[in-house]
This record gives sequence, structure tokens and C-alpha cells, in this order.
Amino acid sequence: MSILCLGVNHKTAPVEIRERLAFPESEIDDRLREIRDLPGVDETVVLSTCNRVEIYAASPVTETAFEALIRYLIDHFRLPARDAVDFYHLKGEAAALHLFRVASGLDSMVLGETEIFGQVKKAYALAQEAGSTARRMNKLFQQSFQVGKLIRSNTRIQLGATSVGSVAVDLAEKIFGNLRNCRVMVIGAGEMSRQTAQSLVSRGASSLIVSNRSYDKAVELADELAGEAVRFDEWEQAMSGVDIVISSTSAPHAVIVPDMVAKVMRHRGDRALFLIDIAVPRDIEPAVNRIENVYLYDIDDLERIAEVARVEREKQISLCETIIEKHIEEKGIEALSPDRRPGDEGTGRAASPAGDPAPQS
Amino acid sequence: MDKIFLAASTLCFFGGFLYAAYGLRSGRHHPSWANLAVIAAGFVFQSLTLHLRGQLHSRCPVTNGAEILVFLSWSTVLLYFVLGRGFRLSLLGMFTAPMVFVFQAIALVALATGDPGPKRLEGPADPWRELHIAVALLSFGAFALGAIAGVMYLVQDRQLKKHQLGPLFYNLPPIRSLIDAIVRLTAIGLALLTVGIGSAVMMTERPAAAHFGLAALVWAGYVAMLGLHAGKKIGPKRTAALAIGVFLLPLVMLAAG
Repeated sequence: MSILCLGVNHKTAPVEIRERLAFPESEIDDRLREIRDLPGVDETVVLSTCNRVEIYAASPVTETAFEALIRYLIDHFRLPARDAVDFYHLKGEAAALHLFRVASGLDSMVLGETEIFGQVKKAYALAQEAGSTARRMNKLFQQSFQVGKLIRSNTRIQLGATSVGSVAVDLAEKIFGNLRNCRVMVIGAGEMSRQTAQSLVSRGASSLIVSNRSYDKAVELADELAGEAVRFDEWEQAMSGVDIVISSTSAPHAVIVPDMVAKVMRHRGDRALFLIDIAVPRDIEPAVNRIENVYLYDIDDLERIAEVARVEREKQISLCETIIEKHIEEKGIEALSPDRRPGDEGTGRAASPAGDPAPQS
Repeated sequence: MDKIFLAASTLCFFGGFLYAAYGLRSGRHHPSWANLAVIAAGFVFQSLTLHLRGQLHSRCPVTNGAEILVFLSWSTVLLYFVLGRGFRLSLLGMFTAPMVFVFQAIALVALATGDPGPKRLEGPADPWRELHIAVALLSFGAFALGAIAGVMYLVQDRQLKKHQLGPLFYNLPPIRSLIDAIVRLTAIGLALLTVGIGSAVMMTERPAAAHFGLAALVWAGYVAMLGLHAGKKIGPKRTAALAIGVFLLPLVMLAAG
């Protein structure tokens, strides 16, 4: 009995292919049962995210299983031809090592991101609910959770934000703590400001005001982010009530100057003001950063912070790989260990999705 | 035995500081319970030291500069356990540890090189005096924690202003939480100091006028700081700086005896 992984990810397949192969969560139960019933497949877990679609399986005859899985995917997703998709085929230790790297964020588009860990957990939990896991998959996924935690605890792979939007969120949280009571104002409804505002709203920012020279565009973005649009000649008055300002107008000169900010700050007490200037040429005069309790970041600052974090994460890769190697040296691949007794074949339902050892029946 | 306990406590705080500093420097996650356990062990040894010194004098063990430093350290750590964790400022422990280490190292050297020995009170014990000393030192513990939170605020503010986000940045609490902590700790310290000064008035043998004057100066300093902050006359950065600056007054007061 061995384990295998068949899949595509952001490195091997463009988004058009990945979205075609995606397994909707609402149908996953049926799909797991269908895959488990394929020839050569005893157990299975499907990991389907925006960046990867991977089928993990336990199989006594891996070549038969690979063949059946590819045939299933071609039929199910109506792929034009067998060679239309460049699937990777991994088996035994290579398949396990791949999952460990995936769960640790080492195979992610954004190196070290932690969301994938939750997605792997969820994929495993869904497979358990569908009854498509047993001893091999239980051990494989539980060990991947152990490795993921080990990597997070012993390296800096997840430290720092690596995109402009997430840097803005990190900074906002270090200024205000919980963003639940934070009000955000967007001046200039461009794509970058939309993304940054969306990042803040997704992390809990309570209200959003959008102002743009074209009022219709402001209304459009405000509707999209469940905010409120204000006319462009009214944003100055609105600024006194907000905590975070994202500015990206196409004005050829600064629209936010120190005097204006100093006036706003006079009545704010301890409430800080976080200014994000993503316009080029810049919308906010740099001298604004000298005002107490005001924190100004322009696009270069945000990019530089993201770049530093990306470089730091790259540096951590070898340490992560060493930790995984050492873990495998010490514990082996538990899913590949020989069966102890026939009764070991417990059902996946008995194991906890949180990664606790599955009781052996 | 009291000096052995004091040495053990001092080592614990030194160890706690090194452990947390290493964790921060390496950027690796370190379980906060481990650091907390080291500080808790240091606190137990502090308490044993003070207990033995108290038995020696048959009263609150604040009869010399070294004992005052140990008592101040003890009250700082006690308040950290009671209040600091509540503010979710786990790193406050890391910043507290070096201060306590320095205070206790000085006390240890002083006691090891010239322990003045027992200093029993003549005449009946005065409960107001014991209350005054204990509450006043507890208030200084709160002010010390407020000053430490002030240091943390200034560090975090500087990093945010200079756009330099090192491992410390990701581990320090939000500046909003820090300014809240500074204000609350100072208010708690002020309330305790008010009780301390009030109990001094009730003492059979009142402290010297200079001592009263200094205490009043400390009290007025913190009242002014909180008043200016509440009236929005000073921003959070100046409030943090004042929490550190005004804390020098109690230190001067303790040094002056």
C-alpha cells in the first residue's frame, strides 16, 4: 500500500485550467465517494484551492490509481485531451513530502502564507465527513499538520506581509489593534486603492467612505465594499471622522498637506491617523509624517516592506527544508509504515480535523 | 538564605529576559507560558526573600536601599501579573525583566557586601506606617510598569514613523493598547499613592517634611500628566515620554530614603 498525489498548481497550470478543475465544496462529498470507488483507490482527500487542485490517495497499485484518476478528471471536467493538462504524479515519500511542503506554505504562490494550512485542514475534514479517509490518509494529513506547526513555530517563514494590501493591514493592526472600530476613507477609486480597502474591510474595518472626482465611480466602489460615497469636494470634512485614509488621486500636486492634517489631529486625542498614499505623483506631503500620532506610508514604503518580507521568507526556505528532512528522519513517513494488524483500518470519521491522532479501531 | 533566594530570583529575571530577547531576535515563536513560568519562579524567590527579611526585622522589609529595590521589583512583578496580562501585553514581562534584574543585582551586591542586619522598630508597631510603605511601594510598581509601557510605546512609535519593521515590531502590541495601558497603570499608581500619602498623615511618627514634599511632587507630577492627557493638551507620545520622565521622581525619592 502506498500513497500518491496527482495535481496541478499555480506553477504547472494557468488559472484557466485550475478553475476548470476546481471541485466546488457543495459537491465535494459526491466527488470524494466517486474517486474512492475508482480502481486502485482505497482512500482519498481532495485539496481544491484557487492555486491548486490535488488529489491525495492511498492505493495498493499506484499506476492503476493514477490512470483511473486521470481518466476520471478528463471525463468529469470534460478536458479536451489527455495531454491538455500537465498533472504532476507523485508517490510514496515524494507525495508525502509534497503535502508537508504544501501545508507549510512552501509551495504557495505567496511563500509562507498560512491560509493554506487551514485549507488543507478543511480538505481533510471534508474527506473525513465523506468517509473517504482511513488509516493512511489520517496519518498522512495529521503528520502534515504536525510539520506545518513545526515550521510555523521554528522559522520566520510567515513573518511580515508580502503584498501592499497585507502590509497596510499589518500596519493598521499595529496602530489600532483590532480594526473593528476603524473607519476607512478612500480618496480616488483606483484598482490599488480598491484592493487595499478590501484588505482592510476583510480584516474587520467597520465603515468605509469613498470619494472620487467621478462620483459615479465612487458610488460603484462604495457599493462593492458596502461603504458610503461622498462627493469629491466633501472629503476634507469627512477626514476628521476616519482613522485610515487611502489616497490615490491623479492630482498633479499634493492634496493632503500638513496644515490640514494638524487641524484634524487637534480634536482626536489619542486616536492615531494612518495615511496610505498610493498615488504617483504622491497625494500627501511627506512632512505630514512629522505630526504626532500620524503615520504616513507611500507606495514605495509599502512595496519596500513587502519586498523585505519576501526576501526574509526566501532566506527561511532552507531552514524549513532542513526541519522537514529532520522530522522525516526521526519519525519517517507514518502513512507509509506497515500495517500493524488488520484491525488498524479505522474510519476517517473517528479522527479529529484539528490534527489529533485518530483513534485506532 | 535570603541572599540565596534573591540571587535565584535575579537569575530567573536575567534568564527570562535572555529567553524573550533571543525569541525576538531570532523571530521564532516562543511560548509565552515558558517566559511567564520563569518570571513566576523569580517572583516566588522574591517573595521568599522578602518573607525572610520581614522575619529578620519583624516588620515590612524596607529598612535600607537594597530592600527597597527588592520590594519595588516585587510590587512591579506582582502588578504585572495582576494587570499586565489583563492588558494582553505579554511583552511587558520581557521589558520588566531587565529592570527587575538591574534593581535586584544592585540589591544583591549591596546586601552581600554589607548587610546592615536586623533593624527592629522601637516601641509598638504602627499599622499606618506599614500600610504607607506597602501601598506607596505598590504605587511605584504601577508607575514602573507605566514607564515600561511608555518605553514600549516610544519604540513602536519610532518603528512606525521610520518605517523600520524588525522582529520587535511584529511582537510589540498596538500603540493604541500601549497608550491605554500607560494611562490605566498611571491612574492605578496614583490611586495607590493617594492612599499611601493619606496613611502617612495618620502615622504616629510622621515622615520628614522633605519626604512629604517629594511624595507630593510625585503625586502632582502624575496628576498633571493625567490631566494634560485627559484635556487633550498632550498627545500619546508626550504622555508616554512623561510616564518615563515622571517615574524618575519616585526613583529619586527612594534613593533619598
